[in-house]
Amino acid sequence: MINTIVKRDGRCVLFDIDKITDAIFKAAQALGGNDRQTARELAELVVKHVEQAHTDDNPPTVEEVQDAVEYQLVESGHARTAKEYILYRAQRTRIRDMNTRLMKTYEELTYQSAGENDVKRENANIDGDTAMGTMLKYGSEGAKQFYHMFVLNPVHSKAHLEGDIHIHDLDFLTLTTTCCQIDIEKLFRGGFCPGHGFLREPNDIQSYTALACIAIQSNQNDQHGGQSIPNFDYGMAHGVRKTYRKLYSRNLAKALELLVGLENADEATKAVREKVHAAHGLYPVLADDNGYRDLELPELAGFADEPTLMKAQAFAVEQAYQETKRATYQAMEALVHNLNTMHSRAGAQVPFSSLNYGTDTSPEGRMATEAILLATDAGLGHGETAIFPIHIFKVKEGVSFNPGDPNYDLFKLACRVSAKRLFPNFSFLDAPYNLQYYKPGHPETEIAYMGCRTRVIGNCHDRSREIVNGRGNLSFTSINLPRIAIRAKGDIDFFFEELDRKIDLVIDQLMERYQIQAKKKVRNFPFLMGQGIWIDSDKLGPDDEVGEVLKHGTLSVGFIGLAETLKALIGQHHGESEYAQNLGLDIIGHMRKRMDDATRETGFNYTLLATPAEGLAGRFVRIDRKLYGEIEGVTDHDFYTNSFHIPVYYNISASEKIRLEAPYHALTNAGHISYIELDGDPLKNLDAFEQVVRYMKECGIGYGSINHPVDRDPVCGYTGIIDEVCPRCGRHEGEAVSVEKLRSLGCWNGNVDCGYCGDPNEEAARLPNSVVE
Amino acid sequence: MENLNVQNNDSEMMVGEGVGFERIRRITGYLVGTLDRFNNAKRAEVNERVKHAVTREVKL
Repeated sequence: MINTIVKRDGRCVLFDIDKITDAIFKAAQALGGNDRQTARELAELVVKHVEQAHTDDNPPTVEEVQDAVEYQLVESGHARTAKEYILYRAQRTRIRDMNTRLMKTYEELTYQSAGENDVKRENANIDGDTAMGTMLKYGSEGAKQFYHMFVLNPVHSKAHLEGDIHIHDLDFLTLTTTCCQIDIEKLFRGGFCPGHGFLREPNDIQSYTALACIAIQSNQNDQHGGQSIPNFDYGMAHGVRKTYRKLYSRNLAKALELLVGLENADEATKAVREKVHAAHGLYPVLADDNGYRDLELPELAGFADEPTLMKAQAFAVEQAYQETKRATYQAMEALVHNLNTMHSRAGAQVPFSSLNYGTDTSPEGRMATEAILLATDAGLGHGETAIFPIHIFKVKEGVSFNPGDPNYDLFKLACRVSAKRLFPNFSFLDAPYNLQYYKPGHPETEIAYMGCRTRVIGNCHDRSREIVNGRGNLSFTSINLPRIAIRAKGDIDFFFEELDRKIDLVIDQLMERYQIQAKKKVRNFPFLMGQGIWIDSDKLGPDDEVGEVLKHGTLSVGFIGLAETLKALIGQHHGESEYAQNLGLDIIGHMRKRMDDATRETGFNYTLLATPAEGLAGRFVRIDRKLYGEIEGVTDHDFYTNSFHIPVYYNISASEKIRLEAPYHALTNAGHISYIELDGDPLKNLDAFEQVVRYMKECGIGYGSINHPVDRDPVCGYTGIIDEVCPRCGRHEGEAVSVEKLRSLGCWNGNVDCGYCGDPNEEAARLPNSVVE
Repeated sequence: MENLNVQNNDSEMMVGEGVGFERIRRITGYLVGTLDRFNNAKRAEVNERVKHAVTREVKL
């Protein structure tokens, strides 16, 4: 006879046969059973079985009783119930493990620094050492565990935990969507409300850039991904226009005040300006080419004689132009500074901001583009390279690509700035898969990328709105491709069958996540939906569900490690043989086809993503190495290669890399990017830099970027390449240098606290002359 | 942001003891001011990167 049982924590408690009956009955119920009596009889058999090995002096453990239940169910022919019971038991074990693990994670987050703890460095843009950064991690880790235990479909949870798939931003599973392209023109029209208090439509370029930052920051708090402006130049052009208009009247007033002693000149010139506008619909413009001066002249007749008035007008035009240009530059400088210092998400991170520009050919748009590039070139307060925003220069034939194109000068400038500061990246509007959406005169049809790569334009939900503005990704989940390849053991058919099963799984998982997102209300997203940033959300009330408008977004299936996949399948990656490249294209082409099929079947925008995988790069390979051991070229590095990239450690020329990666851009319609690593200082070979960009365009790359080392010695201020020794002051890392030496180099200002005294060489090399005339 | 350690070395003042170099790198699309913030896997990836030679054929 058994009276007690030993629990997992070692406590002895009274044995209760009803608990066994309940467990068996629940397992049977899950299969539609409803026979409590049988459950009771089985429980009695279990007790008998346990009693064979245990007495009250030697009580059984919970695990032993559960083993006995499994045994008895199988023995008595209840195989399906047994299976269900085993599943239930495994699930309970998993939950217990997770609870223990969560507390362990919290302990590590609490007592380890980011230097020691990889979890704290999962995202390089969050400072895990700060109070808010750690608090964010507590929340994030706790949320993940909760979702695994109570929200996620157990099949999806298992696949994620075992590393078959990776559900990105899982900590936000029930909360929000990924990202959005903020239509800044639309947002500013009529003003907006970022929190408490209404912001009027801005009236000059300074307010335009300040509000652009606020828009990015506000929206960042409503979503878990980055934020982007697709039409930065078009949007800021309005600010430049208004600034010029104001400055023209102000300078005209100054001139008339001085020349003829006009009183209340500011009001007078402003009144004339509005009168001319009311009569002719024209304002003074930056290019001074719309005949405004001639229309204004008669209205000014009462103030002075004609030659004096014309002189005053000429003065106003000249001054207003210079002052507008200065104001625009200062506004962009402030924007760059703001986007590198302002915080979002409980202060834990700088917003992930991206700006797309380069195709507005109006004088005002060009001035805005030039100014943002020059401000980026100048760097931050001590000449440091700004980390945000991500700049994306739009390359388009006939607009900004070839000599003679109206914005070719800006393209050249973009190359030069990128060669120094790593940004801008380049997006290629002429790539066929981007060009198909392009309609001249409709900037919303120009492809825009979200910083790291996300791309949203095709729209099966509403074919009439295949645009970038107001849309974004809802969620994405990546498939562990190398694992499928390892398991296939060279069997290509098995590989594709298993890949299909994983794709099916992820398609379902993304849809289940959408179902959760769809139930959210406008009030859950005060800025994104409340201010009408997301497409069609302006037609909803605060208590309306967002499910319908979210259908404009994308559900994306990603992948990582194509190179390792090919290596595991056929022993070569796509940089090593044409055969491998063809198989690579088959695999990714198949995945794309599955996305297109799913789109057709569901009416949702399923797209294929070349996953950036910051947190994922190490996770999959760690699990796979444990499971399958170290496999050469597959699991023998500490990371799986980024999406379809040729491995970073493989020697290959720039042109070959571009040629091989370009076809994958056409297939990955949820986003892609290719990188080229340049040696040396590309500023010294701008021609080569531009040629690489041009070659990307010719090969059909959609989005590309060039990496090169950007180092800086904070002591002497040198910016460039530093190997072991600073080329300017000659110190090694961590070494002291004499003030005498710094003084002789002209980089010491006696500021012991800062040490930095400016960088005379770097400052001299800045772009002093504007390219826009 | 730069706290440069200053020490007096007899007659001549020294600065910069313990101050490292900043190395800005791009990581999954984002720039990061120092390698310290990268996770282990990405640190390994950055260390293994090789340069891509620009050959004549790139010329258009």
